[in-house]
Amino acid sequence: MALLLKAEHASENQDFESDQRIVKFVVVKKREEDHAQPAALTSFEDAMLPHLDAAHNLARWLLRNEQDAQDVVQEAYLRAFKSFAGFHGSNGRAWLLTIVRNTSYTLLKKNRAVDLTTTFDEEIHAPGYESVSPATILEHSEDAELIREAMDELPAEFREILTLRHQEGLSYKEIADIAQIPPGTVMSRLARARAKLRECLAVRIGKEK
Amino acid sequence: MNCEEATKLMDGYLDGELDPITSQTIEQHLRECPKCDRAYKTHGSLIRALGNATPYYKAPAELRERIQSSLRKEIGERPTRNGGQNTRSLFPRKQPEPRTILFGTSWNWLALAAAIVLAAIIGWTLLPRLQRSGADQFLATQLIASHVRSLMANHLSDVASSDQHTVKPWLDAKLDFAPPVVDLSSEGFPLVGGRLDYLDNRPVAALVYQRRKHFINLFVWPGETGSARPTMAMSHQGYQLLHWADPDFNYWAVSDVNANDLQTFKQQFELQTSHH
Repeated sequence: MALLLKAEHASENQDFESDQRIVKFVVVKKREEDHAQPAALTSFEDAMLPHLDAAHNLARWLLRNEQDAQDVVQEAYLRAFKSFAGFHGSNGRAWLLTIVRNTSYTLLKKNRAVDLTTTFDEEIHAPGYESVSPATILEHSEDAELIREAMDELPAEFREILTLRHQEGLSYKEIADIAQIPPGTVMSRLARARAKLRECLAVRIGKEK
Repeated sequence: MNCEEATKLMDGYLDGELDPITSQTIEQHLRECPKCDRAYKTHGSLIRALGNATPYYKAPAELRERIQSSLRKEIGERPTRNGGQNTRSLFPRKQPEPRTILFGTSWNWLALAAAIVLAAIIGWTLLPRLQRSGADQFLATQLIASHVRSLMANHLSDVASSDQHTVKPWLDAKLDFAPPVVDLSSEGFPLVGGRLDYLDNRPVAALVYQRRKHFINLFVWPGETGSARPTMAMSHQGYQLLHWADPDFNYWAVSDVNANDLQTFKQQFELQTSHH
């Protein structure tokens, strides 16, 4: 049976390749479709490529890995392109970032199911951080490497909300849409994320001393 | 509001995301509570500093190219739903050239240039209008002040007369122009008198008319010759203002009568002056 099917399939291909009329039809059809699609592609690129930096930055912070970030952004752009016809909103950046965020989480879940939500962190209660005053943290606030390390220590939902607010300057409403949380949750999560970032910084500064 | 509540809302306040009433309540608390105020200031400057110093990972140029070529591959592959690999090998089609950075940039520059030109045009045509409307607002305030003062200080008129042939020569003698003066008693707007005033950096004539128990101040001064402007009605601080101009003069009527009465007044005034 399997053999028979295979043979049939092969003969179909044979016919298809040899029949000049079909070939001609397919070529014409393809040309028509090609003509329509570059226009859609151009309008997609015009709308979405300006947000490439934002997309990459978010993915990079979520995945903490350059290669993963690039793969996710590429995948997200493909997904976005496929559903671009259904996008009628005015906020292209928020729409794209939602897709980038979801694609990132898919990969995060696949790679390591941990790290997605806040977990109780012993390190916070490690000695040292309480002795570090806000003024001392402020003194270190130009140290990008220190901040990067402290940020990378945070759970994904904190890295995400800090990026969206501090770097993209998005409103609570936009953040709620992208992170798929109730608008009322944004403020408290942001507050917790900031407090935790301060703590992580304090611990690092305390250790340096 | 207590300290605990204020601390809870501090991030929302910092981000300007609270409703005005809650914001005011927090402001009130911060004024009264030095401890919270200090915490707020520290938190604010720290958050801003950290936000600014957080590294921003810009997309490398090769990612853009990767995405663009993958999108082109995507539209290249799409029509081959039924054929799969076969069709692709059968019809080796030329991949469209990926849009080069130069090409993209030149379009962007064109668009930018067009936007600048457009903005300049809009600015050129709109700005004088906006400035004018700002000037009109300022003038309106002056006019109302003058109108109110005239009623307040019992200084409605320098020359109290219902006779236009008394008012007009008096004004003509005091001013460097000769404003039209007509009595509109038969139309329900008796002339009460005339006054000198100072508006828009120049002396102007103020003609005072009465409508039942209300007064209308009609300010008149020479306009730019030939610059007839459309009639403009404004309502400001509860007063009605009506502005029009003929080739010789600017007119501003100010009163607390209703807008319709003021319109009627203007029509009657124009009708009568055109007869003179």
